[in-house]
Amino acid sequence: MRLEKCWFCSSTVYPGHGIQFVRNDAKVFRFCRSKCHKNFKMKRNPRKVKWTKAYRRLHGKDMTQDSTFEFERKRNRPERYDRNLTENTLKAIKTIDKVRSRREAKHIENRKKGKKAQERREARNELDQSISMIKAPSVLKEDPSLTLPKIKVKVSQPQAEEPMEE
Amino acid sequence: MGTKLKVVDNSGAKLVKCIQALNATKKGAKLGDTIVASVKEAHPNGKVKKGKVVYGVVVRAAMPRGRCDGSVVKFDDNAVVLVDKQGQPIGTRVFGPVPHELRKKKHVKILTLAEHIA
Repeated sequence: MRLEKCWFCSSTVYPGHGIQFVRNDAKVFRFCRSKCHKNFKMKRNPRKVKWTKAYRRLHGKDMTQDSTFEFERKRNRPERYDRNLTENTLKAIKTIDKVRSRREAKHIENRKKGKKAQERREARNELDQSISMIKAPSVLKEDPSLTLPKIKVKVSQPQAEEPMEE
Repeated sequence: MGTKLKVVDNSGAKLVKCIQALNATKKGAKLGDTIVASVKEAHPNGKVKKGKVVYGVVVRAAMPRGRCDGSVVKFDDNAVVLVDKQGQPIGTRVFGPVPHELRKKKHVKILTLAEHIA
């Protein structure tokens, strides 16, 4: 018995779940639930539907390249039963899962990093550009308390040292 | 009954119309069932002529069918392979995918002729 991947959302299809559709060129499409099957019948592209794994991978939302993905692979050769090997595998599954979840959390943290500074910058820009939406520019001129205080800056400029010649 | 099915072997028939399903249920034929059909379209120089009454095994059905492991399979179209009364295929080739359930129905000959088994 094999745990297949859903063609549309890439989730695991457990035994007894979902439906599989065999096209006339013998390509098999497996779906985890009727939601995915319906989306397939509507001819939607999983890369353009936001909740699928394909979209998230394509748009850098999820971690794509990692050594922990190497363990989950389709193997066509049946493994001979070995008690020690099974025991070790079961142990390894827990460790690998822990490592992967940690790396995924790190990936999300990294993705969120530049967000705060960007938000602050956008807010400042908005304040600068559209203050006139709250106060008309003429009011600001009359009442100086509404604007930022003017700062005197010394300017080194030649101030009409030579009178104008006529 | 009354369903028109594509013939996916080289027996000479192209299209048959189901006139009886040879199974215990009264609900019509499903994937893997044997049917009695009349040939509606045929190639001019084939083994099977138009208007003959023939036996056939449903190898593809668009209706979803449950499998023994609990999953469900469905196909693109409704297709049939013509057999004689003993269940031996009339043609020598089978086109397209066929389900592995045919083995349970003792149609191993069709499975060996098939291109793909789904």
